[in-house]
Amino acid sequence: MKKISLLALLLTFTLVASACTVKTKSEATEPAANEPSTETVTEAGPVNIELLGIASNESDLNIVRDQLVKNGFTVKLNIQPDYGSFKAQQDAGNYDIAHSGWTTVTGNPDYAVRSLFISGGDYSIQNDPEIDKLINQAATETPEQYKETYKQLEQRLVFDKAYIAPLYISLKSQAVNQDILNADTVRLSKSRALAWESIDFKDTSKRDSDPLILTQTASVLTSLDPIKGNDGSINQLNTNMYVRLINLTDDDQITSDGSLSFNHTIAEGNSEYYFLLRDDISFAKIDNKKAVDTGERVGADDVVFSLNRAKDKDSVPDHRTYSLHEHIKTVEIVTDVASLDSIQSASGGGSVKAALETGLDTGIKELVADKAQADSQAGKYQVIKLTTTEPFPQVLNYLAHQSAGIVSKKQVESINTYDVANFDVNKDIPYGDQNTVTEGAQYNNTLYASGPYILSHKNDYEGIFYKNPGYRKGSEHEPKISTVNVRFIADADSALSALRNSEIHLYYGVPETKYDIVKNDSKLKLQSIESNGVTYLLFNTKNREVASSEALRKAVLYSINQDDILAFYNNNKIKAVSTVSPLVDTGNELVADANKVKEYLNEYHNSK
Amino acid sequence: MAKLTFKSSLEYSEATFSWIVTAGIAVILLLSSYDLWTQAVRPSVLIIALVYLLFALLQLGLAWRIRNDIARSGAIRSSTRALGYIQLLSLFSGNLFITASALHLIKRDRNTEYTLAVYTLLTGLFVIAISALNLFKPYVADTFLPAISLLLITTGFHLISLLLVARFMKGRIAAPWLSPVAILLILTSVTGNLFALLLGINLLIKIRHNGKPATAKWEEVWGKLTRSTTSMIGLFFIVFLFSMAVCSYFTFDYAMATENNYSAILQHPSLAYPLGTDNFGRCLFTRIVFGARISLIVGFFSTLIPVVIGGALGAISGYYGRRTDNIIMRLLDVLYAIPGILLAIAIIAAFGANTFNLIIALSVGAIPTYARTMRANVLLVSTFEYVEAARALGTRDLLIIIKHIIPGSLAPMIVKSTLTIGAAVISTSSLSFLGLGVEPHIPEWGNILKLGSTYLESHSYLAIYPGLAIILLVLSFNFLGDGLRDALDPKLG
Repeated sequence: MKKISLLALLLTFTLVASACTVKTKSEATEPAANEPSTETVTEAGPVNIELLGIASNESDLNIVRDQLVKNGFTVKLNIQPDYGSFKAQQDAGNYDIAHSGWTTVTGNPDYAVRSLFISGGDYSIQNDPEIDKLINQAATETPEQYKETYKQLEQRLVFDKAYIAPLYISLKSQAVNQDILNADTVRLSKSRALAWESIDFKDTSKRDSDPLILTQTASVLTSLDPIKGNDGSINQLNTNMYVRLINLTDDDQITSDGSLSFNHTIAEGNSEYYFLLRDDISFAKIDNKKAVDTGERVGADDVVFSLNRAKDKDSVPDHRTYSLHEHIKTVEIVTDVASLDSIQSASGGGSVKAALETGLDTGIKELVADKAQADSQAGKYQVIKLTTTEPFPQVLNYLAHQSAGIVSKKQVESINTYDVANFDVNKDIPYGDQNTVTEGAQYNNTLYASGPYILSHKNDYEGIFYKNPGYRKGSEHEPKISTVNVRFIADADSALSALRNSEIHLYYGVPETKYDIVKNDSKLKLQSIESNGVTYLLFNTKNREVASSEALRKAVLYSINQDDILAFYNNNKIKAVSTVSPLVDTGNELVADANKVKEYLNEYHNSK
Repeated sequence: MAKLTFKSSLEYSEATFSWIVTAGIAVILLLSSYDLWTQAVRPSVLIIALVYLLFALLQLGLAWRIRNDIARSGAIRSSTRALGYIQLLSLFSGNLFITASALHLIKRDRNTEYTLAVYTLLTGLFVIAISALNLFKPYVADTFLPAISLLLITTGFHLISLLLVARFMKGRIAAPWLSPVAILLILTSVTGNLFALLLGINLLIKIRHNGKPATAKWEEVWGKLTRSTTSMIGLFFIVFLFSMAVCSYFTFDYAMATENNYSAILQHPSLAYPLGTDNFGRCLFTRIVFGARISLIVGFFSTLIPVVIGGALGAISGYYGRRTDNIIMRLLDVLYAIPGILLAIAIIAAFGANTFNLIIALSVGAIPTYARTMRANVLLVSTFEYVEAARALGTRDLLIIIKHIIPGSLAPMIVKSTLTIGAAVISTSSLSFLGLGVEPHIPEWGNILKLGSTYLESHSYLAIYPGLAIILLVLSFNFLGDGLRDALDPKLG
């Protein structure tokens, strides 16, 4: 018994000793508890917020949930397994805030806001005349001018009205197997999709024997008709299958390099745009699973046809990209050389003709309407004039988008013989239907590609592309590698594994959490660049408390702490204010403020 | 002949088992004490490994001595038993196996109560040790100090009970004045220490019957079960987890498991974060402790529901036979034809993911197997004479089923259910792993494992520890199930 009492004494002693040094939770958090106005919030009870998102963004959702909970909200998570179910929930309005993302693939700020926030826009649920006015005003302005306008827009959109709560700008990153590929030939561009034609093997003798193996997640391709899709399943593929009038450089400047035009220029007044077309690109087609040169040149009539159908909502059923091209008024072929001489270029320094001739071996001697007649050696050229509905310099960015890819007038007209108004999905087969390139009974490849590569056939596992034999033969832009395999790997971890065991050569879009693994692998090279992708929270505008209460939205807005998000992603994200943040440096910044949250929550409670 | 004797000696088999397990752990620790990449030795791990090795060697010597004792004199000498006191020190290294073996070695004529008292004490000590790790954290839960004091007092009482039981329980006879102790023991089981409950009940029964074998079956089952080391270790881990799940309400801070802490992201194991932190800076150790709660609740209820429903359906169809039997069993066959996990996924997808739906989803698929087991038992039991006798006396069917048939056919159901709780725990984790279980931030072993699986290469501990927890719990249920089967089987001696 003596032993026991001794033991008990010892226990009591340790307990007392530890009680003196151990800090309890309320002691540790005491200073915070003393802050004013905490009680008023708790008195009114917690505020319920339903957060909608996709399972792949689970980390973001958890960060936002945690930040909202710490600011006194009660968060209900609505996590959907895929984008389809997410969209269904969003359309049904089953959310207060939806985790949303936007990537400005055209690299211009107008595209970053127009369809998202203008009243009646493709993806817009907002209806605010003030915002409409600012968007339209900025569209007509030059970069120096629109900086201030977009700053005002952000002020209205985010800080004054809190229609969105920004989270971050992502990095765009790709990992290259540098044992196989020459990493210097792999471009990484801010906005545009990966250009395949420049990619080369380390061992150049393998160009014709080995395929370049890439990957993408989606195996179901929306459509290989460029105007019928604008999503991850086809953006990269169509970009490489159809040449455009213009291209974006890696840092989003407009360039004629690697495009259908030798040169381009804007005429005075910012409403007329001129393009001098190349004559060394022909359409390719697939014959017996081999790419052959059709001998048909990509010319001005194809450009006129392609852009007219791109802007016309009724040119095809299920047109997905007409809103990108709604600023195009007319597209025409210029045949009068003198007319080019009489117009001044907007940049100053001479006529349009002089601007178009810059750097050419042979000047413009004659303009021809028939593409077969064009011959740059002899000075016979084709020129396209594009007029916009209003002065809109950013139209060039839209022309660099894959949806402005040039298709063959002859071929598309011969395939799309159906009546658009009475299109029957069971009977009519439109140009670019993915079933026509999928192996099986329906296979009937009718594609005509104007770009460096053409899709031969695909299945659920991979798509096979061949080099276009008629694409700028002998120039530096001639595709280096003959065959490109695009593997469809849905899971990011599997794709990374495939890259690491050299099953694929390049992996586009490495997750931030895997950067270290890629960096530690000597055969891989990680390239990253700030992207135009912005992730933000979108507030519901119908039938919810957040729709009617500005104070509640602002309470959520000021709960968001972007520093925490950056810390979570190991600083592989960048702070954002709105979807224009990656494109225009407006100088705005969202700073989390717990006191403002309390203020706005009180305001919200008092207004009820 | 001597060989047979020491083989049948419990002390010898326990000693052998514990030195082998300890040596195994020591080898694992030794291997992990050397970092292959940095070519450096981790001193702390190495020390623990050496301590384990030391005890393993001591235990090996002890096992050898027991063997010699038995071979020479047919009994273990007191000096050998006294060596058990040295081995008790292994408790400080957290070595359950040697401690349990030592405690059993010390006592010459052990009984069920002594074993239960040993495990009661061990459970309490382990819960306190695990909870005390919170002292290294920046702060502890507000209720930590009172709760840990209560736990210490309770465990002190358990130690006293152990001494009392060791001293005053002779064979099957318990001193009558032990009943207040027994009642107190039952009261202390609110800490989740089910061993205390069992010990209390056992004591009360013994006191009440005062040596008369009135409840032979109960005594026999527990007697057999407590003599099986593996099943007691399994039961220990289950009770320990249950007790942890209960005590963690007061000794752990839930916020540590759910609130993100961006200043402590992906930290390797340290004293403040014994198992490291995950990518949101949450303490993995705290998450696993809280995760036990959901795993146990879902595991238990998703087994209990099919046992009750399936058992009832099986009993009815087995007893009435013919058309009733056909209708019920064919309908259940239809249900049986749908793969269980697929059915669960469908139910979750339709009704949403939360704990309640998870339990329902996992329960429904398991009903047919229980109904089949029950039906087979009932078919057998209902042919026994005592059932016929009851029927001849005019007892109502319902009464016959409940009073005479179900008790007789329950044993296989109990065994089956302990074995399937393990499967239910795995299913819960699988569903969470697939994103169909509870919300991702809620600590649940499958969730934790899912998060860890993306860091397998860089921070493997994030996946290893929750994985180990799942393995241990499932293994424990399986060991317990095996032990129960042996204990309940009348054919096994």
